[in-house]
Amino acid sequence: MNRLGSAIAIAAVTLMPALALAQEITPEDIIRNAMDHWRGTTSQGEMTMIIHRPDWERSMSMQVWTQGDKHSLVRVTAPVRDAGNGTLLLDNNMWTYSPKINRVIKVPSSMMNQSWMGSDLSNKDISKSTDIIDQYDHTLLDSREVDGHQAWVIQSIPLEEAAVVWGKEVWTIRDDYVMLEQQFWDQDGVLVKTFTTLEITVMDGRTVASRMRMQEVDKPDEWTEMRVESTRFNVELPANLFTLSNLRNPRQ
Amino acid sequence: MAATRLSASILLTLAWRNLWRNYRRTGIMLVAIVVGVWAMILFSALISGMVDEMVRGGLRTLPGEVQVHHPAYRDDPSVANSIDAPEGALLALLNQSPVTGWAARIRVPAMISSERDNRGVQLLGVDPAQEISLGFDPADVVQGRFLQGPDDNGLVIGRKLAEQLETELDKRVVIMSQDPDNNVAERGIRVVGIYRARLQSTEELNVYAGRATVQKLLGLGTRVSEIAITGDDFRAVGGWWRTIEQAAGPDLETLPWMQLDGYLESMMNLQTSYNVIIMVVIFLALSFGLVNTLVMAVFERVREIGLMMALGMRPGWIMYQILLESLILLVLGLVIGNLLALATILPMEDGIDISAVAAGLEMAGMGSTLYPTLELQHMLMSTAVVVVLGLLASLIPAWRASRYNPVQALART
Repeated sequence: MNRLGSAIAIAAVTLMPALALAQEITPEDIIRNAMDHWRGTTSQGEMTMIIHRPDWERSMSMQVWTQGDKHSLVRVTAPVRDAGNGTLLLDNNMWTYSPKINRVIKVPSSMMNQSWMGSDLSNKDISKSTDIIDQYDHTLLDSREVDGHQAWVIQSIPLEEAAVVWGKEVWTIRDDYVMLEQQFWDQDGVLVKTFTTLEITVMDGRTVASRMRMQEVDKPDEWTEMRVESTRFNVELPANLFTLSNLRNPRQ
Repeated sequence: MAATRLSASILLTLAWRNLWRNYRRTGIMLVAIVVGVWAMILFSALISGMVDEMVRGGLRTLPGEVQVHHPAYRDDPSVANSIDAPEGALLALLNQSPVTGWAARIRVPAMISSERDNRGVQLLGVDPAQEISLGFDPADVVQGRFLQGPDDNGLVIGRKLAEQLETELDKRVVIMSQDPDNNVAERGIRVVGIYRARLQSTEELNVYAGRATVQKLLGLGTRVSEIAITGDDFRAVGGWWRTIEQAAGPDLETLPWMQLDGYLESMMNLQTSYNVIIMVVIFLALSFGLVNTLVMAVFERVREIGLMMALGMRPGWIMYQILLESLILLVLGLVIGNLLALATILPMEDGIDISAVAAGLEMAGMGSTLYPTLELQHMLMSTAVVVVLGLLASLIPAWRASRYNPVQALART
């Protein structure tokens, strides 16, 4: 990416909140912007996932490519025994590839609720796209100061026919569209799990959440952390990146 | 001819009197036969009751006695293997005797999730009125209500499933399945009713939603997975399922329950062989007593038999006489035993409460009440077993008695 590009990107990131506030932004837009924010039009990055349990902990390094919110590819690079495992997301469909069995498997709907690579995130959590925003009723609950920023607290109640089990979700989003926290509440009004941002850093000119943790309230000793080691936005991606053949035979 | 009839009546008199010469021994033997026959019939009735109950319960969950499917549906019960809703000749057949109820339903594997858990289930898209005609009892819906029509927007789940999902009435859950193009089809749906079933496994497996609702979710149009048909008598199904098969045509697979559920059929077959085995085992124990009694009776009368032979009685007649003694004993035992069994079973036909061992029976697919069923077949079978095996057992002492040498027999002290 050239200098000009990043300058524009920085300008856009810094200007956007101001513009948004001026235009009476709707809670829906805030969530959409927050989801778009960390994805960018395209991105390429490295991530570490740490799965913590009371008696063990393991970490996995992976490379991530995204394009919009419908195309993403994740490939595990370490540890050796998991290296090469890949996940491809295309338009709400999900495929996995494991070099050990040399097979590409389409994840069937029956497995969407299962854990993704043994973490506390389900396949569904991973594959969720911005489409789902339309299936909620969003209301702005609160607007408060966090670390010198303004932060919106938005409550989202799923519509009657939405494919969402939660009673409500509560988002805390900073005015620069960094998601600070996402809470999942059950239908009795009990908090079930939270996805919290623990660290925020500037990467490739954008302020992004770089350490996030998924934690169930009932199990304080069990959590999954995602650490973004590095990421670049708006990169040129080869046209064949998000294809099944590339999932099986990596060419980048 | 006259001589034969006379000798037959003499033989009968001799046998009858001999039998009551030692009335204690005969009495004990009679009691043994009566108890044996009574036990045979009682066991058969209990086992039949159990098996009938299992079959009826199995057919209620199958459901129906005959089902029509896409030929590939039974191997791959996916939404892609759907069929058109019944029409024309098939529809006409379904609405007349002997068919008493039928349902065009969707049955596909699905996932159901709540906030706490998710489970694999069988999603049934049904028309509630048809489902009730097929044997679903709306009184089994213990909380909330059953569906109100094919386009009902609610979901009815089993009590055990609700417990596992930690969900309850009036809460939303998400059902997820696949449309014919293998894309994820999912939606939130509210639990409007919770039903209880005789078996916990049914409560865990089946979830009911409106047929039109499921068709819309899966993009099926008006197509269905199966047509389930009942005639209310599972033994009579052989008489009419072929006509349904003809009306459904060669492109669809029409099968009676015996082929749909091999387990139920083998249970039925097992029941018959089980009854025979029990009867033979009981009789084997009994036959030792019978042979012993007859051997003793012959042994006591060696001199007497020798005398009769010396006076000109043929060996064959001696044998007939002993067999006749045995036959009288057996027939007396059978009559009393059958009457006793009748008197025991008839009052029990309303059901015996066996809920104390319900958990174990549950695994075998049975409920907690046992309804003994007395069948004429059992009584005939036990009679046949007792008479045939009884006479066979008596052949040995009878044969020995007829082979005595009169001189030696008379000389025996």
